[in-house]
Amino acid sequence: MRNVSDLLHFEDFRAGQLFALGTHRLSVEEILEFAREFDPQPQHLDPDAAKDLLGGLCASGWNLCAIAMRMLVDGLFNRSTSMGAPGIDEIHWRKPVRAGDRLRLDCEVLEVRGSSRPERGFVRFRFSMWRINDNPDGERVMMFTCPVMFRRRHVAAAAS
Amino acid sequence: MWFEDIPLNVKVTVGSYEFTEENIIAFARKYDPQSFHMDKEAAARSHYGGLIASGWHTAAVWMKLMITHRRARVAAGDVQAQSNFVSPGVRDLKWLRPVRPGMVLTYTNEPVAKLDWPSLPQFGLIEGHNEARDQDGMLVYTFVNRVLIARRPV
Repeated sequence: MRNVSDLLHFEDFRAGQLFALGTHRLSVEEILEFAREFDPQPQHLDPDAAKDLLGGLCASGWNLCAIAMRMLVDGLFNRSTSMGAPGIDEIHWRKPVRAGDRLRLDCEVLEVRGSSRPERGFVRFRFSMWRINDNPDGERVMMFTCPVMFRRRHVAAAAS
Repeated sequence: MWFEDIPLNVKVTVGSYEFTEENIIAFARKYDPQSFHMDKEAAARSHYGGLIASGWHTAAVWMKLMITHRRARVAAGDVQAQSNFVSPGVRDLKWLRPVRPGMVLTYTNEPVAKLDWPSLPQFGLIEGHNEARDQDGMLVYTFVNRVLIARRPV
């Protein structure tokens, strides 16, 4: 169990901060497992049928979101006072992502702002998933922006 | 079905899904292992006061129900229904209320706008307003989906 004071609180975030959230190699089993349960379309299940649609088997966009979430929880939220997100502003699926692709996730803090509740605040992030197979700079395959609630280390003074 | 044929402002019920302790925890263990999504005791102590589903779970279920719904329409001979979707993204996802074990969400979809998609001129973009409501009719989740649909060949 981590000491609470070691956790990242609302006060620890600043606009412009960047966090690296690790890399992940996408497997065909992951694509098929998610597709069978949540998105059973041919482009996510059947390599032959997928050729005509998107040039071959590719992951469901929702699968990419779920993978990004896992990386985000393991890489940041589980060492923070995250209280969850009220929503997502926008998600962009820019490129088909395929089995064997190496993916990197990072995020940038866009904005920090208080909440009407003095014990918490909102941090707005832009998350980017990059394909880094050949190009170490990567090709951005997905991005999404969202506000996340964090507990404060110190309860804010009441707004005057 | 072609882009031109899709009626706007017609709301359809896509389907329903029961969230259970088992499916909430199974999803969270794989994709969103925060304690309030997978640990009953920790969730009870959290500001949510109990286990709640990952928002990505609520979102993914929409896709599952949408595919089932479209396939049923195709099987019924409804030529208006296309069964495959390609989407450049979605927006304005709002998780308005926590989704707890035992809740049954009913999802609806309503196409609300037709837009050009200049990089693929043979397609048009349909934007749809989507809602999920619980058994009491309370609004739990909304978002705007965006899907590319082939235009009628000229």
